[in-house]
Amino acid sequence: MEHFIETIGRNLFAIFGVMALVGALLTIGSRSAIHSVLGFLFAMLNIAGCFLALEAEFLGVAQILVYAGGIVVLFLFVVMLVEMSKKREGEVFQLQSRYAVVAVAVGVVMFLGVFRKVLFGAASPEALVLRPELARGLDVAHQNAQAVSRGLFADYLLPFEILSVILLVALVGAVALAKTERV
Amino acid sequence: MVSLNAVLVISFLLFSIGIAGVLIRRNALIILMCVELMLNAANLNFIAFARHSGSVSGQAFALLVMGFAAAEVAVGLALVVALYRKRDTVQVDDINLLKG
Repeated sequence: MEHFIETIGRNLFAIFGVMALVGALLTIGSRSAIHSVLGFLFAMLNIAGCFLALEAEFLGVAQILVYAGGIVVLFLFVVMLVEMSKKREGEVFQLQSRYAVVAVAVGVVMFLGVFRKVLFGAASPEALVLRPELARGLDVAHQNAQAVSRGLFADYLLPFEILSVILLVALVGAVALAKTERV
Repeated sequence: MVSLNAVLVISFLLFSIGIAGVLIRRNALIILMCVELMLNAANLNFIAFARHSGSVSGQAFALLVMGFAAAEVAVGLALVVALYRKRDTVQVDDINLLKG
């Protein structure tokens, strides 16, 4: 039993990653939009788990707050607003989807080939393992949020401020787009 | 003890699932969700490399990307709602106003 738990603890990232992939597949595969949103929620929570496994505590929590708390709720609202009143869509996938599937499959296979060559091939450098001592600057053991905020507000203050302007513009734009014609 | 290759492979698969969704789904809402999936795959890479190089730049940028994704979703959903008001559909191949 202890051995089992230890194995899970060592492979947390892989477990969360595979579950995130399952959630993503549910997102693009399910017929009803509500199920897609639930699959998306599952994927987002598991990606937050991946962040935690990579010792980005602050970002993991932020991921849960922003995605599961904000974006998924927004999607659910719009799905209920838009989809519920409508009859079921007859055709889930696009007409040209056969070509799209072929194109995506070819791209994935080619890229996997490159991946295999670069990362796992004979000439590849030895596999990088993210050991604990690599995370020195991230200050994981003490205050990850402190380290991230130092990076954000000291080194990347300008992008941060630009992002705040972008958010303001998006807010105003969303209101302007979604309001009815008559004021 | 996570191998960097595992992170790269997972984020690559996540990204390609996102692209596949954008290409093959007809529902505009699901296309937006797939764009979010792709942004998250990029975030995963950012965080893995931040972890690898021991600097917080990657994590700071992942946070910025997250905020950017939130703005994008707000505008995208407003567009979907406006489109639904005008055309009574969210299926992208019913929307062919610009088709000659």
